[in-house]
Amino acid sequence: MRQFLTITCLILTALVADAQKGFIRGTVIEDGSGFTVIGANIRVQETGSGAVTDLDGKFSIEIAPGTYSLEISYIGFQTLTIEGVETKAGGVNFIGEIRLSEEAFETETVVVTAKTIRTTEAALMTIKKKAPAMLDGISASRMKLTGDATAVEAAKRVTGVSIEGGKYVYVRGLGDRYSKTTLNGVDVPGLDPDRNTLQMDIFPTALLNNLVVSKNFTAEMPADFTGGLLNIETKDFPDERIISASVSIGYNPAMNLNSDFLGYEGGKTDFLGFDDGSRELPAGAGTSEIPTPISVIGGKFTKQEASDFIAGFDPTMGAETQTSFLDYSAGISLGNQLKLGSEESSKGTLGYIFSLSYKTDYTYYDDVFYGEYQRLSASDAYPLRYANIQNGQLGERSTLVGMLGGLAYKTTSSKYRLTAMRLQNGVSRAGQFRIDNNGDAVGQSGFIAKSDNLEYNQRSLTNILLNGTHVFKEKGWELDWRLSPTLSTSDDPDIRKAAFSLSPIDTFINAGEGGNPSRLWRSLSELNAVAKIDLTKSYTFRGEGAKLKFGGSYTYKKRDYEILQFDVQFFGGSQSFPSGDPNDILVPERIYPAGNVYIQSGNIFPNPNEYNSTVNNAAFYVSNEADLLPNLKTILGVRAENYVQRHTGRDVIFAQGGDGNNLDNEKVLDALDFFPSANLIYSLASNQNIRAGYSRTIARPSFKELSFAQIIDPLSNRIFNGSLFPYPDWDGKLVETRIDNFDLRWELFQDRGQLFSVSGFYKFFDNPIELVRIPTQQTSSEFQPRNVGDGKLFGVELEIRKNLNFISPALQNLSLSGNVTFVESQIEMTSIELNSRKNFERDGEKIDNIRQMAGQAPYVVNAGVTYSNSDAGIDAGLFYNVKGRTLEIISSGLYPDVFFKPFNSLNFSLNKRIGKERNTAIDFKVSNILNDDLERAFSSFEAEDQLFSRFSPGVSFSMGVSHNF
Amino acid sequence: MNIRLLATLFVAFGLFFSACKDEGTTIFDAPSVTAPSGVISVEAGATGLSIDFSVSIDPDVTATYQAAGSGVTISNSSGSVSGSTITINFDAGNAAGAGSITVTVTDSEGKSDAATAVLDISDESIVRVTSNITADATWSADKVYILGGRISVVDGVTLTIEPGAIIKGEAGTGPNATALLIARGAKLMAEGTAAAPIIFTSVADELTSDDIKNGNFASPNLDPDISGLWGGLIVLGKAKISASNDDGELSEVQIEGIPTSDPNGLYGGNEDGDNSGVLKYISIRHGGSNIGEGNEINGLTLGGVGSGTVIENIEVVANQDDGIEWFGGTVNVKNVVVWNAGDDGIDTDQSWAGTLDNFVVVTPSGSCFELDGPEGTYVARHTIQNGTVVAVTSSRKIGGSLIDVDSSTPVDMKNIHFVAPLEGEGLTVTEDEVANTTFENVTFAVSAAVLPSLMEQGGAVPAGISAGGSPQANVSVLSWTWAAQAGGLDGL
Repeated sequence: MRQFLTITCLILTALVADAQKGFIRGTVIEDGSGFTVIGANIRVQETGSGAVTDLDGKFSIEIAPGTYSLEISYIGFQTLTIEGVETKAGGVNFIGEIRLSEEAFETETVVVTAKTIRTTEAALMTIKKKAPAMLDGISASRMKLTGDATAVEAAKRVTGVSIEGGKYVYVRGLGDRYSKTTLNGVDVPGLDPDRNTLQMDIFPTALLNNLVVSKNFTAEMPADFTGGLLNIETKDFPDERIISASVSIGYNPAMNLNSDFLGYEGGKTDFLGFDDGSRELPAGAGTSEIPTPISVIGGKFTKQEASDFIAGFDPTMGAETQTSFLDYSAGISLGNQLKLGSEESSKGTLGYIFSLSYKTDYTYYDDVFYGEYQRLSASDAYPLRYANIQNGQLGERSTLVGMLGGLAYKTTSSKYRLTAMRLQNGVSRAGQFRIDNNGDAVGQSGFIAKSDNLEYNQRSLTNILLNGTHVFKEKGWELDWRLSPTLSTSDDPDIRKAAFSLSPIDTFINAGEGGNPSRLWRSLSELNAVAKIDLTKSYTFRGEGAKLKFGGSYTYKKRDYEILQFDVQFFGGSQSFPSGDPNDILVPERIYPAGNVYIQSGNIFPNPNEYNSTVNNAAFYVSNEADLLPNLKTILGVRAENYVQRHTGRDVIFAQGGDGNNLDNEKVLDALDFFPSANLIYSLASNQNIRAGYSRTIARPSFKELSFAQIIDPLSNRIFNGSLFPYPDWDGKLVETRIDNFDLRWELFQDRGQLFSVSGFYKFFDNPIELVRIPTQQTSSEFQPRNVGDGKLFGVELEIRKNLNFISPALQNLSLSGNVTFVESQIEMTSIELNSRKNFERDGEKIDNIRQMAGQAPYVVNAGVTYSNSDAGIDAGLFYNVKGRTLEIISSGLYPDVFFKPFNSLNFSLNKRIGKERNTAIDFKVSNILNDDLERAFSSFEAEDQLFSRFSPGVSFSMGVSHNF
Repeated sequence: MNIRLLATLFVAFGLFFSACKDEGTTIFDAPSVTAPSGVISVEAGATGLSIDFSVSIDPDVTATYQAAGSGVTISNSSGSVSGSTITINFDAGNAAGAGSITVTVTDSEGKSDAATAVLDISDESIVRVTSNITADATWSADKVYILGGRISVVDGVTLTIEPGAIIKGEAGTGPNATALLIARGAKLMAEGTAAAPIIFTSVADELTSDDIKNGNFASPNLDPDISGLWGGLIVLGKAKISASNDDGELSEVQIEGIPTSDPNGLYGGNEDGDNSGVLKYISIRHGGSNIGEGNEINGLTLGGVGSGTVIENIEVVANQDDGIEWFGGTVNVKNVVVWNAGDDGIDTDQSWAGTLDNFVVVTPSGSCFELDGPEGTYVARHTIQNGTVVAVTSSRKIGGSLIDVDSSTPVDMKNIHFVAPLEGEGLTVTEDEVANTTFENVTFAVSAAVLPSLMEQGGAVPAGISAGGSPQANVSVLSWTWAAQAGGLDGL
């Protein structure tokens, strides 16, 4: 590694550009198709020198300072002359996209004046216009305008996208199971044990180039998405030299500089987004026999060993008030491209990029609410009865560090790219709650308690991409290959919980009420390794350009998951804590043998709360794009995927040594599937398309779903049963969901990135999988993934981007953009669900066996007004986002359905560029202007909604400054 | 652009991804030690045992070893290595189970290697049970049975436990909790006698069969307030219950703490006369380990147990959750002591339709009575009668209510006396929710003037509750219990 770096540095040193000269750079694209033009000639009229565009359509000319005219020519296209191209010593004039039009009857040269076009939405719009799939996206420039800090905030600007839990991106309202995220076109592992999709809050926008959502499937894409495939493109090497730095601060009156903020003493490296080891599992805790008073009696350990072992657990169990600081972030980016060799004998271009970003946010909710409400048994009793209510304060400090480095080497026919990225996020949480448990409610014992919860979640993602692209222009071939390993981890080290029952006469720990204090370690790591090759052959069909694409990919995934849990126990004696201070539980005088406190293991080895799964997925595809009829582009393709999933895990009975179920790297899924797709694009006019598409896609069971897992997750207090267990009404055979997708869209493109489109879609789900709540379990929430009845989904999408100059030229700087998605989803309930709902049918209520799909928003609205005045260097925008009432948790009968209530998010951002060169930008942003609350609620027939959870994020302000040197 | 700065950044970036390591040069071979293969069986308590580890070290260095064991006592736990064998001398411990000996060899170069020999320490008088009981079985009086997990006696199978037998649960919490579960359709025939009760306790309890034979039923080493060391005894049947998943015909639910993918945890049905066997003279101690948040195993859990079942002379000592909890069912229970429960003394749910007769409850940590009503449409009444309750002693006091009933609780409480001290202790009866509860001769050892202060709202005293009175339980039939032997029932 060191040698490699030394060589890299030597190369860079040798390549210091002649500071006397400047550069002219740009990209040549076909105006009609949006594709880059490879091999176009660029000639500087004044000097006669020139360049040829490379395989990305890019060129770079090194030239003495001055003002020049460029002549751009390519066979079959109108020659274009650009006048007044200025170059300064050591500077880069990046012309941007140069659009060549196809030769018409007249063959005059078109002359334009040079003006700077930035990487804008317009580029993305062209891609969107011509792409075989229906695309939507957001570019880096737009992310900058909206001021979004992470990918998850940026993604919600995309048509049909909604955000779930602040982390997950759902497309067209389809839930987690039907969305997929790729990074630079390859699979990346998820970071949540209970979800399929990737958490998007971990990607800082500073490292991203764009986000593109494909809403329908074409053969070169992975087949396991249905709502949308979100691809995150990280920064490639830049056209211009970049040395930029930015800093920003944020302030929320309720959260920052607040002396009531809750935190706890963590590790010394928390500010870097990872734990320094202070939350590590104490030595000896991860074994089948730990030192306890019981094992001391058994002669396995001494009292001293037991005492030392208990003392190995961090005694901090309580939250403490701290003063929160302002939110702050900083970032730097460096990048450039350098020509290798002399002007005459070019050895290609070397580019590099390095980007580092850091941010710390404080979140504090002074009135968090979690509720559990039940229906009453009498069918004429409509109001809901509370079973358990927790309310209190929650403080959260999140640190996100992102680092990306890349090198690229490009010749006229090949390009190689090596990118490495590391994301690190640490979130420290401390909460204090008052618990009111209602003894009248079913399964509840009735008590008042207070509880302190301390959590730390640390996530990381490390990705390396090695990518090569080769163009054999004469033969019409293009080859792209990628090798990309990614390792992700998500750990919750040492989650601590301590509750004291509060009775009029005592403050004490009661195992049957608030529960004994507990400590928990949960870890997830996943490796994905992808190798992918794509070949494109361009040819002519009936005089029109056509393309044959084929290729393959191999994906290997491996996931390891484990929970280890421990309870604080009392070896006889008093469980009273008059101080009510959780930090008094593990004090030396109360630890066994001096006192009665010891720690007991909840772990069996082999651990039933652990599994390892692998997937090997080999895929091949072939797809052809041709104009079968004039103006009708037809893309027909088929993809084959051979998918093998293996599982290692066991149930509790096996783990305890009994005759239970065990899987030892056994095949739980082995299937070869074919996924056809047909997409038709009919061009009504040069700026109008009608698209129609059909495709078959798949949603496969997740790693833990095809297992004998009996995972009792103390975090959610939910019990998960693997699908392989048979029940009287379930055969233990979970199959993949196959989905037929139909899409229709009309789109109109206008200049300046204006757009109008209307889409309709229909999807049919065969054997959809849902987590079915098991009604025989009354005292806790227990689930099993099962195939349920058929699902259907109908949707309409509208998108508009309109400049207001049609009203008055004075309004030409104002644009309106908006998109709306309406979806009607239907799923057939299982008989279990229907019965448990019928048991609690209220008088006058009519329950049928169809309901909306869980996680499916009925509508998603995005709207914005933007003001852009490049003369004044001002960009400003007001953005609104909301999604409709969404079913989140399916009713068990006793507990009604839980819905996510619409959150009206209104945000304002302002970006002003200052300085002679406009190199400094100041950003100002206001979030949640309407001061709305995030609420989930129980909803039952004729009953007032009751809160399931409530968070009040408040209004927050942030200000930042960035400078490009 | 400053190239040096750039280079520094690249180097820093590289280091962020990969730590560089310099390989040292090897001069001497590292030592190697090998344990005997397989599991070595030894008798519990056996002395003068030895096993050989083979070792090889580089001829140019010297080496020492350290030996550490579990379940055994090693006499030569360190020494120098000579030749190719290290012989470890040891005595087996008295506890049966897995043991091990680990030898670590460290040479003068500081290099080391370690190997572990796995031992199975067996005791024929100790039987470790790790699998469900799927064929009729008998547990005999002269043995100790260790519960290695959550052991179910499955449908159609009878487990007979002879008088005087001892059953000990291994320690653990959560999924690791141990318990004996009698599934629906299975039978437990556990007929102890006053002279030879059947004891369920923890592996930490040093109680032996000889102690039982000698009439010493108290634990020799555990105090009677140590709870949560293992799970408990769970009996499930097919009698009616009132659960909220009632579909009009049949209500059956899963007992708390056992995943539904284990069907042995189901209880409830339509057979009110169901017979789950006979439970007589049984003492259940130190159990109640946590199996989920705020979710523990009761000393004796009776889920949907039918009236054909005989349950009498039961003692529950120091259970972390409730003493006895009924979930519906029709079984009658008599002659009971609940001593130092970690939560409630007597707990009823889901419309239990039986009678608890002649009982003593001493200082639970929660409520003395936590009595709930139906959760579904089926409603039936239960009766609690002839009992004596001690809420406060010099060392312990309840943390909950004297009587906690809901407005829907269909219970009749008769001839129950709460002994002194009660006055000034802050204890209450939830008298505002007794709509469906009847009292007859329920007495509190306070003056009539003080009695209203025991009512939660300081309000009216319900009919049937009065001041004064005297103990109602017949404790003479409870003399076999640890509580009685320890003097805990004196004066009652």
